[in-house]
Amino acid sequence: MRKALRVCCLLLAGLLLILTVSAAMAEEPVYGGILRWREINDPPKLDPAIATDTVSSRNIYLMFDMLVDNDPDGKGIIPRLAESWEGSDGGKVWTFHLRKGVHFHKENLGQPTENGGREVKAADWKYSMERLVKVNSPRAYFIDMVKGYQDFVDGKTADWVGIKAVDDYTLRFELDYPFAPFLSVLAYNSFMVVPREDAEKWGKDFNFHPVGTGAFILERWDHDQKTVYKRNPDYWKRDAQGRQLPYLDGVEIFVIPDNTIAYEEFKKGNIDAFPDFPDEFYLEAKVRFGDLLQERPWLGTYYYGFNTSKPPFKDNKTLRQAMNYAVDRKRINDLVLEGRYYPGRGVLPPGMPGYNPDLKGYEYNPELAKKMMADAGYPDGIEVELNVNNNPRHKAVAEAIQAQLAELGIKLNVKVLDWGVHLDLCERAETEMFRMGWVVDYADPDNFLYVLLHSSNFGAKGNYAYYKNEKADELMAAARVETDFDKRVELYREAERIIVDDAPWIFLFHYTTSLLGQERVKNLRLPAFGDYTTPLEAVWIAK
Amino acid sequence: MFSYILRKILYAVPVVWGVVTVVFILMAIVPGDPARLMMGQRGDPATLARIRADLGLDLPLHQQYFRFVGDLVRGDLGTSYRNNEKVTSALVDRFGATLRLAFWAMVVAAVIGVAAGILSAVRQYSLFDYSAMFIAISGVSAPVFWVGLLLLLIFAYGFHLIPGVGYGDGDWRYLVLPVVTLGVRPAALIARLTRSCMLEVMSQDYIRTARAKGLAEKVVVLKHAFKNALIPVVTIIGTQVAELLSGAVLTETIFAWPGVGRLAVEALVARDFPMIRGTVIFMAVIFLVANLIVDLSYGIIDPRIRYD
Repeated sequence: MRKALRVCCLLLAGLLLILTVSAAMAEEPVYGGILRWREINDPPKLDPAIATDTVSSRNIYLMFDMLVDNDPDGKGIIPRLAESWEGSDGGKVWTFHLRKGVHFHKENLGQPTENGGREVKAADWKYSMERLVKVNSPRAYFIDMVKGYQDFVDGKTADWVGIKAVDDYTLRFELDYPFAPFLSVLAYNSFMVVPREDAEKWGKDFNFHPVGTGAFILERWDHDQKTVYKRNPDYWKRDAQGRQLPYLDGVEIFVIPDNTIAYEEFKKGNIDAFPDFPDEFYLEAKVRFGDLLQERPWLGTYYYGFNTSKPPFKDNKTLRQAMNYAVDRKRINDLVLEGRYYPGRGVLPPGMPGYNPDLKGYEYNPELAKKMMADAGYPDGIEVELNVNNNPRHKAVAEAIQAQLAELGIKLNVKVLDWGVHLDLCERAETEMFRMGWVVDYADPDNFLYVLLHSSNFGAKGNYAYYKNEKADELMAAARVETDFDKRVELYREAERIIVDDAPWIFLFHYTTSLLGQERVKNLRLPAFGDYTTPLEAVWIAK
Repeated sequence: MFSYILRKILYAVPVVWGVVTVVFILMAIVPGDPARLMMGQRGDPATLARIRADLGLDLPLHQQYFRFVGDLVRGDLGTSYRNNEKVTSALVDRFGATLRLAFWAMVVAAVIGVAAGILSAVRQYSLFDYSAMFIAISGVSAPVFWVGLLLLLIFAYGFHLIPGVGYGDGDWRYLVLPVVTLGVRPAALIARLTRSCMLEVMSQDYIRTARAKGLAEKVVVLKHAFKNALIPVVTIIGTQVAELLSGAVLTETIFAWPGVGRLAVEALVARDFPMIRGTVIFMAVIFLVANLIVDLSYGIIDPRIRYD
């Protein structure tokens, strides 16, 4: 009996082993295939130096590389073209050791490139950073703390003295002051390496002839239709088994402006990846596609700002707090946003370094809100104007909040504006309340707190609420130069506590990012940084 | 006729200049800074100033205007703020797709519209007449986006008879649904107008005379009646052609068709002044040319019309 049992166990174990091996073999990546990715519009820019939108970024990530990258799960900075790095002189000097054997694209749009597929050297990085200034990159100022920035911008020096190619594989940045988020900033997709030969040959038209080191090479750009990429056979990256990446033969990014049609195209199998999945089909897709619809917290915050430079919100913290208490975020999220966002308690989103899970924020409390309205000098309510940029989701949220505030006698007049006009009015502080959202440029609390709420950043620089609190200013400024991570986090948390108490915004929601992929598409993993940063070099298509 | 054409072209110059000036003024007074939009949600004021200088937006308005008109006279419509593309090459690039769509939509609309209009007039108050006019009224009233979506859901995603959206690298199958969608409204307009013109003409004495002469009904209808009813029909066809050639924003959006309409809308959203001006000038020229062709066709249709 015992022997029979042993034989049965052995047979079972063998069967399990066979199943496991065959499952593993079934999941073995295969080369070939074209991945079809949907986008809503034509990418305006394919030159990383001048691009600022997510559609352009989606394309740019395929062709170019940064020195460092964001961890897909938001857990810090990982190497990309820099294999390692070290900070010295109290965080004022950063030295990067470059990966050897990284080559620029040999061809572009079916023609040989000027660089001929040569290896990337430290001098290329210096050139690429200096080029940002020369082409008036909207993002060059992100690294204005690198020594000599202003002199180079003003044309007083021939080169950017704070950037040095120490040798072919060592690059050094010298900063004017210790800037703790520096590494995170370098993971932003403007700071990518380009070959001098091609950039100089094409000048401004480099935008139409982008040449980088990425996994894919631009083959065709049919404006308003698609961008077509083919595999870079000389790509530097290999998988865990040492196999050459990418697995795919190519990527096609299709422009399909209408969401309904895009979803039908997905269901028909004409597209493989559908990023930023729209609300209107969300519930259906969840049931129909299950885990193929990936969704995760995104490092972004959705808020209504108060113009704290003008009445009625100037010097009236109680009124601002009352309005925070008057909004039932959870209900709006459930009813209007299909429960896709996270109700907000503060400025920093979950997943962001420094996020404070213990922050109390403003729970929905209409009774307290009513009492505070009276304390704020508005016992009979108030009439205020809210500017919202034109988007169905923003409009729906505004109408829901309008209804909730009306219960407390607050008459919210919603004005829907074109994005350009909206920005213009916010910048000039010609609003009472305004909708705004913020998604990180670089994964550091600095990119939220300092940029959006420090008094040196009024208006176009990010602080549209024109909020100022000297204590919070001091804490945020101190955190920028603090090199000890734990101390920084504490400084930011203290600053955030003050800001939340001052209530320059109604802290509404934190975003999520989403991506729907076909079952045959394997290894398609949505990163914390947003759908447009999804790496495609290790994606493969099952036959 | 040559002097007539020349005169028309000369008249067109102040019209285009007027359009250009009005668009320039509108762009100048509408809030929303293109340089600001290029920077994204936040930006450094010093960089913003450099970008504005680079685009020439820091110049006084009159200087910007004279620079723009000067470039225009030299045939340079400028470079897109949004993507650095030359406006002329963007228009040429997208016009091919628009022309292809508009041409076939107009052929379909004209053939169906004229045929339905004539038959309805000839068989006034018949079942065909009622049905055709019901369809025509529906065609005029139905929103384009609704027609387009419906056609796609039925034929592309329901029965899988036709591929979905996109330009399909010129494959004619991708043309079918956008052509039908775009052609529905002009076909309906042409059918209704043809019917009413035909009815008016067919009640004239000379039609009775033609019939009294013993001419075949086909000859009476097509040679005597239709030819005389044609002038208003040609006028509306001309206007419709011009409208379609200026870009059909909704149809292009639904079918992801890379035409001039989408180019114009994207330019508007991004405050891409050179591209907005370029598309508006382009549309103005299209309308002027279409009107000129319609005017010239009157003389061919009705020899009594002279171009003195």
